[in-house]
Amino acid sequence: MRWIHAMSAVALLGAVTAAARPADASPTREQYRLFRALSIDLQGRIPLPDEIAAFERPGFDLDAWIDQHLQGAAYAERLRRVYLDALRLEVGSMFNFVSNPLVLRRVRVIDPDGNPSYVYFRRAQRRDRVESDLDFCLSPEETGITVAANGTLTGTAHAIDRAAWNQRTVEVRPWWLYRDYRSASPSQRIGAGDGSAMTLSPVAGLLMDADNTTPTTTVRVCREEALTADRGAVYLSGRLTALPRTSPYPGGRVTAPPTDSAYARAHAGQMVSCTSGTGVSLSDDCGCGVGLERCMPGNSLGNDPAAFNLPDNVPLGADQPLDSRAQTQGDWSRFWWAQEAVHFLDDLFVRDRDVRGLLTDRGTMVNGATAQFYRGFAGSTCCGNGTQFDYAEPAALFDPARVPTDLTPHDLATWRRVDDRGPQAAGLLTTPIFLAKYGTRRARAHIVYNAFLCRQFVAENLALTPSTEPNLMVRPGCAACHAALEPLSAYFTRVTESGWTFLPAAAFPALNPACATRGGNSPNGGCTSFYDPAFGSSTQGMLRGAYGSLAHADEGPPGLARAIVDAPEFASCVVKNVSESFLGRSLTAEDQPLQESLVTSLRSGGFRMRSMVRTLLRADAYRAANNLASATWREGATP
Amino acid sequence: MKTTLQRASIAALVFTLGCNSTPAPATNPPVTTPPVDAGAVVTRPPEVTPTPVTEIPGHEVLAQDRAPKEPPRLMPAETLIRSYISLFGGLSPQALQVRLRGATSDNLFDTWGDYLSALGVPDYAVDIPRAPQTNALMLAAFERIGVALCERAVLNDLRGAVATNDRVLFRFELPAGGRALTDEEFGARFDVLHRRILGYPAALAPESRIPRFRALYQGAVTRHADAGARSFNGPEAGWASVCEGLVRHPEFHLY
Repeated sequence: MRWIHAMSAVALLGAVTAAARPADASPTREQYRLFRALSIDLQGRIPLPDEIAAFERPGFDLDAWIDQHLQGAAYAERLRRVYLDALRLEVGSMFNFVSNPLVLRRVRVIDPDGNPSYVYFRRAQRRDRVESDLDFCLSPEETGITVAANGTLTGTAHAIDRAAWNQRTVEVRPWWLYRDYRSASPSQRIGAGDGSAMTLSPVAGLLMDADNTTPTTTVRVCREEALTADRGAVYLSGRLTALPRTSPYPGGRVTAPPTDSAYARAHAGQMVSCTSGTGVSLSDDCGCGVGLERCMPGNSLGNDPAAFNLPDNVPLGADQPLDSRAQTQGDWSRFWWAQEAVHFLDDLFVRDRDVRGLLTDRGTMVNGATAQFYRGFAGSTCCGNGTQFDYAEPAALFDPARVPTDLTPHDLATWRRVDDRGPQAAGLLTTPIFLAKYGTRRARAHIVYNAFLCRQFVAENLALTPSTEPNLMVRPGCAACHAALEPLSAYFTRVTESGWTFLPAAAFPALNPACATRGGNSPNGGCTSFYDPAFGSSTQGMLRGAYGSLAHADEGPPGLARAIVDAPEFASCVVKNVSESFLGRSLTAEDQPLQESLVTSLRSGGFRMRSMVRTLLRADAYRAANNLASATWREGATP
Repeated sequence: MKTTLQRASIAALVFTLGCNSTPAPATNPPVTTPPVDAGAVVTRPPEVTPTPVTEIPGHEVLAQDRAPKEPPRLMPAETLIRSYISLFGGLSPQALQVRLRGATSDNLFDTWGDYLSALGVPDYAVDIPRAPQTNALMLAAFERIGVALCERAVLNDLRGAVATNDRVLFRFELPAGGRALTDEEFGARFDVLHRRILGYPAALAPESRIPRFRALYQGAVTRHADAGARSFNGPEAGWASVCEGLVRHPEFHLY
């Protein structure tokens, strides 16, 4: 009986392949079905009545229709889904992005007139008063309340002395309230958002004063936070040792005043960038910039306070949200990181750029929110213990100087291409969403291996035995996968895990004599943050993750991108991912000719997707729509 | 389901092959089970080694259907939502949600967010992948959204004073005075919905489709003949039922 199926299938395929129908013939059911399928794949919806009417007219040119619809946003979205399904480039609140140099929390105090008032401050702020250094700018003695590190308030607020009030705080018209916040006298106060992610929409709490009745026109902020300089001098307090716990701290503060770090003592008075976390923690000249644009607002003292209304669900795009609600300042960044990837992919597919650019493109797309992030936020996570290596100025994956200066945080619907982020940029691999989603070097390498080479690491059938071997490339039971994985993950040696801080070779040589193990003991804490004692020696330390390949460590993500796109499997993997998505099934051995023809099309088209997708949509495999279930009797056949 | 003819053919083939094989010995040797040992290689006895079909006499040149045997594709959830929206006139998702929820507390529709997971929308943030095929919850969500869509469309198009060309779904007139539709009148109106929802003329559908939907329509009309003002009247209920039948039809969700 099988040959009846076979012959019918051949007949069906022949019928479907003949897409162009005679001018006087009405479409067949299969032709209607094909047109509907093409509409679903290229327009993102079922066809509208007028589109069906056009299709039914004599002389309708389906191939021309396909070519026309291989241009639009819906086509780009269709291809974007292929890669987002593979890479899943969104992160939830499990990726906790609460950077104290960024977050402006607020305290409800009593102003000199006896009225409630909010004062915004950030926890990482250096101040030249011992009573408030790295703390709220008004001391407990001045306010009557104590602000604990966990955000709880204790005490009874009393009216603040007017002199202290005027000296320690100032009024600012901030970026989240004024579109023209960069002007000398901002006046363009924003209106209520429309519920989409396309307009800046602060949460209700940010729009009302502390009396809950007066619309907020200015915010009161600690004086240091309102400073606008780009660079500040390293501040030296003169405190060398921590005060004992038993001592009452100055001003009634509940935490010990900070002491001067070794770096501060060595670099006192030197200028540091106010966009780095290190700069904020070292200089009392560093504030939040003009209109507080280097900081995120929060409506409470909480760890991750609410800031803006944002959608939870945008399966149809950020411009067509399904909902909207108050979300935290961390959600703001996470949302726009994900949107950067969306627009990066859309731009690549709409403009039919070389698909290898997914990994190799040094450009990206930015809007107002991501421009603000790259200009003022990204450096806030740098540089921690890097100061031990004189690393206080971030060498960014996206050079802030290349971010368009005219994009403000209000330009949320404007996406603009930046052609070159800098020498370390590599397609999606150096976007914040990728680096946050795949926090470890191995996770990053694995997803690239999987999504762009269509290969998996499969463990060998071997019983694991106890081992102290730190080198997973040789440890029994691990080596089968890690012999390939470790050299790949080494490409991410110079990008911190769960972050985007780049570790330049000048400050962090892969082999560093300063971090040698000493008498069998680990080197100091600063070294172990970056250098792996397990692979160090008595003469030098080795940068964490570099042991898989020192060469790869220095090549960085661009090196991985080159290695992947040069691999013979890359083109066939692109074809596999796209065709399986369009066909709705896995490719089988029987699809080998189709796959080969698509690879040829992709290569001959300069790795541009449009010609390959065109070939796929005209292939019998797509046009037959898998409607070949073994139990289905073909049309015209008699069981 | 194999037919009698198929079973007979298979039996004949087995019989024929049996005639060509070497006769079995009169007494079978005792069956011994090899010890199960880690690492032991168990080889198949030679008599059951697969034979390529082309080596079977008479099969050398027969055509084989080697095309993949898969069911039709499931429409991506994003496309499904966008299609629902287009069926209801292209409103924004949030505006459509307001319309689907309606002014009454009939709980016909909740929020889009309540259905996304059931519809198979991936949640990348928590690594929930796209649902590649239907499941019971998904079908229930199709049903729920389809009912909401069709009933609100009836209220908008058939009960409201909306010009035919401005209607979102039911772009046809009903006979004045509630007169019953003839088969021909039903067919013409059904074709409007069939084209809109399934994308092709009803005349090209399997022969049973129009009669079955006609029966569905008529049953709803009959059951709602004495409906009060708060419920759909007969034709309204009939067209709502037809719409619901089409919008949850496998041909709508698969392609």
